[in-house]
Amino acid sequence: MAQTTTPQPKARKSGTALRKRIIQHRYLYFMLLPCLVFFIVFSYIPMGGLLLAFKEYKFNKGILGSPWVGFDYFKTFFNSYQSRDLIENTLIISSMKLFLYLPFPIVLALMFNEVRNKWFKNISQSVLYLPHFLSWVIVVGLVQRVLAPDTGLLNQVITNMGGDGSTFFMMDPKYFYQIMFGSHLWKSIGWDSIIYMAAISGVNPDMYEAAKIDGAGKFREIWNITLPSIMPTVVILFILSLGNILSAGFDQLYLLRTPGNMQLSDILDTYIIRVGLQGGQYGYATAVGMLQGLIGLILVVVANRISRKVSETSLW
Amino acid sequence: MSRKWTKLLAIPLLAAMMITGCSSNNNTNTGTDTNAEGGNSGATNANATNASEGKPATWIADRKIKGLVFMGTDDYTEEMNPEIKAKIKEMTGIDFEIEIMKAEHSIDGLIAGLAANDLPDFVAFYLNNSGRPEMPVVLKAARESMFTDLTPYFKDSKVYSKYLQDDYLPIDTKFGVMFRPEFQGSAYFAHMNIQRTGGQVTWKGVGGPYIRKDIVDALGIDPRTITSTDQLYELAKKIKAGNFTDKNGSPVMPIGPSYWGGKEVGALFNDLEWGADDQRIKQTKDGKVLHEAQTDYAMKKVEYVQKLLKEKLIHPEFFTMDESRATEGALNGSWAIIADTHSYQEYNQDMHYVPLGPINQADGPYQMQISYKSGYSAWAIPATTKKPEEVVKFADFLASREGKLLWKYGLEGRDYTLDDKGNPIVKQEVIDLKAKDPNAAKKLGFGGVGNNWGDILGSTDNDNMADFGEENYGDNASSGLFPAVEKIATFWDFDKKVKEGVVSDAYQPTAFIGEFDRGTDLKAAFDNYNDSLIQAYYAKSPDAAKKILDNALKQMEAAGLDDYLKLLADKNADPKTKVKL
Repeated sequence: MAQTTTPQPKARKSGTALRKRIIQHRYLYFMLLPCLVFFIVFSYIPMGGLLLAFKEYKFNKGILGSPWVGFDYFKTFFNSYQSRDLIENTLIISSMKLFLYLPFPIVLALMFNEVRNKWFKNISQSVLYLPHFLSWVIVVGLVQRVLAPDTGLLNQVITNMGGDGSTFFMMDPKYFYQIMFGSHLWKSIGWDSIIYMAAISGVNPDMYEAAKIDGAGKFREIWNITLPSIMPTVVILFILSLGNILSAGFDQLYLLRTPGNMQLSDILDTYIIRVGLQGGQYGYATAVGMLQGLIGLILVVVANRISRKVSETSLW
Repeated sequence: MSRKWTKLLAIPLLAAMMITGCSSNNNTNTGTDTNAEGGNSGATNANATNASEGKPATWIADRKIKGLVFMGTDDYTEEMNPEIKAKIKEMTGIDFEIEIMKAEHSIDGLIAGLAANDLPDFVAFYLNNSGRPEMPVVLKAARESMFTDLTPYFKDSKVYSKYLQDDYLPIDTKFGVMFRPEFQGSAYFAHMNIQRTGGQVTWKGVGGPYIRKDIVDALGIDPRTITSTDQLYELAKKIKAGNFTDKNGSPVMPIGPSYWGGKEVGALFNDLEWGADDQRIKQTKDGKVLHEAQTDYAMKKVEYVQKLLKEKLIHPEFFTMDESRATEGALNGSWAIIADTHSYQEYNQDMHYVPLGPINQADGPYQMQISYKSGYSAWAIPATTKKPEEVVKFADFLASREGKLLWKYGLEGRDYTLDDKGNPIVKQEVIDLKAKDPNAAKKLGFGGVGNNWGDILGSTDNDNMADFGEENYGDNASSGLFPAVEKIATFWDFDKKVKEGVVSDAYQPTAFIGEFDRGTDLKAAFDNYNDSLIQAYYAKSPDAAKKILDNALKQMEAAGLDDYLKLLADKNADPKTKVKL
């Protein structure tokens, strides 16, 4: 009993201290408010919708009133002949986008950092950021035209060089990963390099000077100063992106899918749209979507723990 | 402490007072209404006055009727002409308004709209037949009491009462869509576009493959004699050898995709198709119901298409090309043969493309398939709508001759005059405006000029010839809006083909997939087969293609194909559920 009663004044004390701190910094808290409201409205309240994954949604009864079905949707999904392929495709594509893609924006940021001609730097940065602002519909449209059999740019180049210019790249599963990864790289690399450039600009210039005095060359500077300095940013961004491991990018894959590459390009997101939403099975779609979120959450927690132990960098 | 609590409690109290203060005083009115059933838009709109003294015979009630339409803006229009709106108000007392729910696929909009459960006085959606993907969605809504039973109101109506007659509705509309046995005499949707008389062909357009006329003339052939895929292959070879060019001087592609973009076109490969190209299920001569994958036809078609692809006689993107490129190619004359287009299309009113074939069917010469009557689109009244009988009365008005005259032809004097038989003669200035500036013409606000709002509730019991003395808008005025239609119909021997056609009143083979226990899996497997077939066309060898098709068949079998085909045979044996096999 004594143990339960003694902490009370302490708690009250810390509560009062917190309140005092909030009042003291009220303007800062006030500025934080829109952000909190945003997350509550758009992230936390919709989480209530996850209940649908365990319910058979009835139009007239709403989410809360609809009858429970337990784990039925999860069982249906795992019993479906497509589930294995869908998960496998999703994992392969998202792993490529996570692991294989990771060094590209970093290398680009390092390259930009070494460019001394300001004019060239500005122009090339703008050119590389631009694709980020194009929608996937436009990007895939461009890809389709460039890769079209016979009339596409690439095939015409092949023909002019004496090759067979009739390859239907979009229909051949052999080229799917290259097209998927290439278009993703083209669209995202410029924009994703911004955050690394910001991190690089925060590195103390004294360190470079010291390295120069010690006789370090450009590559030595990058390897021993720049990269270790931006490593915490890299790790944090990597952990955050792990949460999306089961979201391989709906727009791009939905548009790139052709009957020829469908065995590689059908992913969980396209499946949710096709079977879940277009078929009106809200509960089923929610269950599959929830699965994506849960696996993402587990991965983030595990990666964060590993990172904290190994590199002392972590989200929390 | 107590002061602090008072302060904390005061904040929500103040907020509540503010919200109450800012809300409109409509609430106080509904509060006194003993029938108040919660705040839905339908309820607040129903301020009907029953006073019809001194009003026209078409008067319904002084109220607003709002509809939410889950169909495309290409097909329907929400901007109504103010004069037309005023006329509706004058005749019926109804302030009519429709809102089109915009969505990439209309069914996505329908699903989201129904789930949101905030619906106005009526909803309308696509529904060609009970096999359409919308059907399970609206059926779920009907089963869960979201819609009003329409039958009691149909009894008192003039046009819609025909829906209750024994022999008026086609069987799919009757037993598959509206009066499903599970509803025990009730009907929750009104299936639209039912013809007054069965077996009529009211649309005189010729659809299917077309070939460039100058190429036909240069080769000295009659395109109507091309009736098999073998002849089509020979023709394609001749076209290629002829070195014809398009408007830009580039060589033509012998067989180009459909005008509307890459897809499988059954009409082009008719003698290699097993059933309709969106069904792929048919009965053998000895009565066995089979899927295309279970026959030789699939491989025959694959080999044929592979041959065309290899010899560059068909566009490599025939099945996947986006619509803009396919249309551009058709307009530039880049395709010697357009796989699918029709005679109402404006680009071909000078007939520089003429119909090719038709190609014979797999089991005999070509025969036009005519639906006894076929429905298209439907509407329903949400259970929350007050005085649903007024919505039905309004729909009944729009379906009457008077209503149709208004939404099809516009206003008498402004848009048309009546001849001595009472039939409308479209004014020349309207025809000229439509030809010169279709968008300005559309603002006149009726169906003839492409402003389609009346069809949603009014296009049924259709018989243009009997009602208006003409099959198509403007025929009486010899408008010449589509000069090629009649000429192409004559060239193609349209009337003879109609006479020799087969009239059937039956379900589509895939119509029962919703009631099949493994329907979701089987539907996915059917879709997979369609994709696999295209994949097989591009396979490196016939063996690889065979493997792809075998895998697709295995998936369909795992999803219950054999049981489904058995179900179809059983359904077909029942005269109430005849299937198009």
